[in-house]
Amino acid sequence: MKKVLLSLAFLSTMAMLQLNAGEQFAMSDADRAMYQEMLENNPAEIYVEEGGEILEEALGGEEALAKFLEVSEKDLPKYIAGFPRYIKKLGNVVGIDQVIQSMQVEQGKEKTKLKSGKMFSMLAYVKSLANGELINIDVEADEHIKASYALGEKTYMTARGGRGLSCNSCHSADIVGQVLRTQPLPDLGEVAVAGTWPAYRMTKSSLRTPQRRFQGCMKNALLKVIPIGSKEMISLEVYVATLAKAKNKKIAIPGLKR
Amino acid sequence: MAEARKSMIKIKPKKFKVGDTVKVDFIVIHPMDTGLKKDKKTGKIKPAHFIDSITFSLDGKPFTTMKVWETVSTNPYFSVNLKVPGKGKITVDYTDNTGEKNSKSKKLKPKG
Amino acid sequence: MKRRNFLKSICAASAVAATVSPSLLLAKDAPKGGNILSYDAAVAAITGGKAVTDSAKIKLTVPEIAENGAVVPVKVNVESPMTDADHVKAIHVLTTKNGNSRCADVMLTPLNGKGYFATRVKLGGTQDVVALVEMSDGSFLRAAKPVKVTIGGCG
Repeated sequence: MKKVLLSLAFLSTMAMLQLNAGEQFAMSDADRAMYQEMLENNPAEIYVEEGGEILEEALGGEEALAKFLEVSEKDLPKYIAGFPRYIKKLGNVVGIDQVIQSMQVEQGKEKTKLKSGKMFSMLAYVKSLANGELINIDVEADEHIKASYALGEKTYMTARGGRGLSCNSCHSADIVGQVLRTQPLPDLGEVAVAGTWPAYRMTKSSLRTPQRRFQGCMKNALLKVIPIGSKEMISLEVYVATLAKAKNKKIAIPGLKR
Repeated sequence: MAEARKSMIKIKPKKFKVGDTVKVDFIVIHPMDTGLKKDKKTGKIKPAHFIDSITFSLDGKPFTTMKVWETVSTNPYFSVNLKVPGKGKITVDYTDNTGEKNSKSKKLKPKG
Repeated sequence: MKRRNFLKSICAASAVAATVSPSLLLAKDAPKGGNILSYDAAVAAITGGKAVTDSAKIKLTVPEIAENGAVVPVKVNVESPMTDADHVKAIHVLTTKNGNSRCADVMLTPLNGKGYFATRVKLGGTQDVVALVEMSDGSFLRAAKPVKVTIGGCG
């Protein structure tokens, strides 16, 4: 009952504030063109290139990755565009970074921490192999990914924290476009979060992964931060991927963000 | 000498002929610290650390030189044109305010 | 209780804050010393007091509203044959309100083929970006454009 009242109050507030300021902050076509051009010279490309070099030298590159995932090198890009996935030999629904870690374990190498520059670069490189592919995550593929999707949807919709907010509070279809802190709230499917992160963040001058961005948002919304690589975080990635898939979005790594 | 800093030279378009004017883009990973910001972890001011001069050369002959300040963005991007005289090697030499010198090269391969 | 706090945070946060980026102080707040140089002083140093003419030959492209003040794209295109006799000698990118008004001095040669330069700069707040161009005949041209810098966003 309390939750319902809270969301009603939220919606009516938004309606009351009547932020036409949304138009004021919407990017002009000329500005949009300038920022599009910046994508062609994205500092993150250097990190992506570096990730490729590390993957090649330390683990055997795409050839080894395809072999590990039991797909042909030709099918690798499309396969990457379907992550997070349930990988039978790992017994879990995992992200690309966890696949890389598992490869390291299989080859008797030291595991690179999920939360490290080196891993962010390798993750970005592997994901970039799928550039141009449609996001093709299949949440009906098996019971594990189905369960992960359900958990992801629940995590996305559950109001928690000091302000009683959920991801959906700010990113639902009827709220997107409203302005919060000078920025129009984005539709996570429309901006293809799943297709454009990892990205270079101008405010951080560095390569940032989607999970880290989710953590940043949680901190701002006063939600307890969910750990990187955890079941819940991966399930969130699964759910957010379906949002982009529904809008026929493609993979385009690295992205460029504010 | 091994490159201490990561950087990239891009030539656009990818296919060009002798006499064409191409775009030469240079991106480099560098903090470009202004000397005004505090390190969040230590609480101390991060000293100014920025690229202050760049030279673009073709086969050893400079065709563009730049003087740069800390007001240029972190992980900076610099772009100029080059009227392609023939096959060659583009080199970007850059120095920062600590005296650190770096260099990056890329072959210029016109078709026809 | 929760509701009131939430509304308060929304209202307070949605105000446009044209405040100073923490990474770069504007001239009026800048500490003494270092690379501090006002726009007028920088222009005087570059031109030696010579006349500067506003010119439509310079196409200066900057965003109207900068998504982020730390990374503002700047593109300069100067109409010029770029011959030995007639070319752009230098493009100076300046800002009007940063403590250090200088961003880059780019010395071009006829081998560049075009009077073009692009980069990304830091803006401490809303101000003009200026392209001060020196031609081979010693004359100085200028173009300036305002850029609105807003500090905001989540995270």
